[in-house]
Amino acid sequence: MKKLLIWVAVLVLSVSMISAISLAADKTKITFWYFHSGAEGEFMAALADKYNKVNPNVEVTAVSIPQADYMGVKLTTAFAGDVGPDVFFMSPGDFLKYANSGIALDLTPYYNEELKADFLPSALDAVTVNGKIVGIPFEIELLGLYYNKDMFAAANVQPPKTWNELIEVTKTLTKGKVAGLLIEPNKGYYQNFIWYPFLWQGGGDIIDVATKKGIFEGPAVENALKLWGDLIKAGAPAKVTIPGTWDLSLLGQGDVAMQICGTWAIAVLEDPENGYSETNIGLVPLPIPDNGKAATDAGGWKFMVNANSKNADAAAKFVMWAFAGDTSLPLEWCTKTKFAYSPRKSVVEAGKDIYSKGLRKVFTDEIYTTAIGEPRYPSEIVDAVGDALQEVMFTNADPKAAAKKANDRINEFLKSFSGSM
Amino acid sequence: MSSQGFATVKFFITKKRVAKNLFAYLMLAPDIIGFAIFIFIPVGIALYVSLHEWNGLSPMKFIGLRNYVTLVSDSLWWHSVGITIVYALMFVPMIYCSSLLIAVFLNSITGKIQGFLRVIYFVPFTVSTIVLSIIWLFMLDPRRGLVNDFLHIFGISAQSFLGNSKQALFCIAFITAWTLIGYYSIIFLAALKDIPVIYYEAAKLDGANAFQLFKSITFPMLKEVNLFVLVVTIIASFQVFDQVKVMTSGGPAGATNVAVFYIYTNAFDYLKLGYSSALAFVLFVIMFVFSMLLLKITGGGARE
Repeated sequence: MKKLLIWVAVLVLSVSMISAISLAADKTKITFWYFHSGAEGEFMAALADKYNKVNPNVEVTAVSIPQADYMGVKLTTAFAGDVGPDVFFMSPGDFLKYANSGIALDLTPYYNEELKADFLPSALDAVTVNGKIVGIPFEIELLGLYYNKDMFAAANVQPPKTWNELIEVTKTLTKGKVAGLLIEPNKGYYQNFIWYPFLWQGGGDIIDVATKKGIFEGPAVENALKLWGDLIKAGAPAKVTIPGTWDLSLLGQGDVAMQICGTWAIAVLEDPENGYSETNIGLVPLPIPDNGKAATDAGGWKFMVNANSKNADAAAKFVMWAFAGDTSLPLEWCTKTKFAYSPRKSVVEAGKDIYSKGLRKVFTDEIYTTAIGEPRYPSEIVDAVGDALQEVMFTNADPKAAAKKANDRINEFLKSFSGSM
Repeated sequence: MSSQGFATVKFFITKKRVAKNLFAYLMLAPDIIGFAIFIFIPVGIALYVSLHEWNGLSPMKFIGLRNYVTLVSDSLWWHSVGITIVYALMFVPMIYCSSLLIAVFLNSITGKIQGFLRVIYFVPFTVSTIVLSIIWLFMLDPRRGLVNDFLHIFGISAQSFLGNSKQALFCIAFITAWTLIGYYSIIFLAALKDIPVIYYEAAKLDGANAFQLFKSITFPMLKEVNLFVLVVTIIASFQVFDQVKVMTSGGPAGATNVAVFYIYTNAFDYLKLGYSSALAFVLFVIMFVFSMLLLKITGGGARE
């Protein structure tokens, strides 16, 4: 009898184990790669857990990858080796390459009319290629000029409103180890992202998308290039180590008097753990040239789904659930985890009280309406513009000659570029 | 096959010879397999990829030698090769002279102090290049770095270092040389210790001074090591990448955009995997030809 009981127990255990294994095997597996760290990383990791709880048949695995390696080294090699993730983030600079290659799943069927109407048209345009929606915009990040009120009061100067004032105030506030202004000195997407508003303020642009021709020339381009050269001469650091200029720590610690940074920095400033609350920080729109027009950059990464994924449909449903469904998750991301504007009207409406809190009010009342979407130029164009900027900033190159060189490179590239813009 | 051919083959595969060499082949096997997997096969694949247009996302498209034709007129590529040569011209003499000097100095002192100094010089070599690059990034920070604080003591104004297009490449060469000096000093030191003391004693009896001893005995006796150090450091200078990636990302204003960084940019920023493979293959050929020329010019380092 005892033996029989043991055999029955073993049998029951085996059956339950086999069924558990088969259940696990039946689950639809989705891999999701993210690069965020800190509170943002925790949000992304929790996203997978939350989805798994409400969808027992799906298993989303969130994989954290350092931001520096994310786009180039990791995503490129993974897709080249046919082991790309099912869901991933895409920067505006690489967006077209992925969209044009067929890697990005067409998500148009997942957007109903009501949802489309909820998104800002410009946000949907930014993820639409050849009439197909191939991404999900989930944040709009704007730029402004943060400044240390105490340093300004001590030097008896006002926050700059024009380019000339910006140069003068930078000179005045650069003293000893304190830099008057922090702009991004290193070449790359981020530097261009920070610089584009100055280009647009004078009416300049890089390419005419309709004719696919470079228009990176003229006084607006040259003046914007020259401005950044002048700012370096005025005392903006030519090299910034750690933290980078996207982190407001240097302003928070009193190492710099002004810093061009984005909406995301507000959450960092307000986090009591960082201890910046005592630093008296203000925010104003980016200074403009004489006769110029206010402009800021509206950036932000997008979600993409791997069209070659075995579980592309399940992966699409996961991202739509996260940022195109209920407003609670997008609202948490844009108002608690970080500060950004949601591209969805319903989310902005749900968080309208938060958008007028503290420094957010400056973004909402004075900067939001001047936003221009971050261009999704291919990296060859980003690189040509970046080189022109670097030459003017660090080799005293003539802005006109630098702009011409870049424009020639852009036109040369566009001759052989066959993808959609 | 002729009877003579069979005889030759038989000569090589006699039981005795196989048994004699088997152990040697077995010992070499892991290295050969490792080289094949991590060097030869990837080089072959790179050559294959270089004949295609490929962005890693879409299927490869065979384009023959078009990538090679493109690179001939790619001024940015040749500019990056030029920067690499300038880097080599700074790095190779810097590391060669410093490590030889330190080795001669270490060889001239005896006792525990020699061992202690050997360790001190060698320590940087044991630390990862990435870690060292980050440490130097902090030390060379224009506003908060220790180096500028030090210069300030002597009344020298703050330098931008890695943020200055005229200083950045030199800084990278200096940091890399500083990292490797200990390693090459040990190699030189080992060779110095192999030189019979009797040569020096005889020369001293003839009245030779320290410089003459170095010129007529030490330097000629180091010929093989000299060649080794020169070839290896030239190759290393053409491969410089980690430090550039961490400290300058090719900047400022492209001042440190060395050849391997340009290849990296083409591969991972522009997603031109075919073109970057062609660039990498050409760089390999340049390095190979250069090394062969050096071997030829120096007679392979053989002592006369």
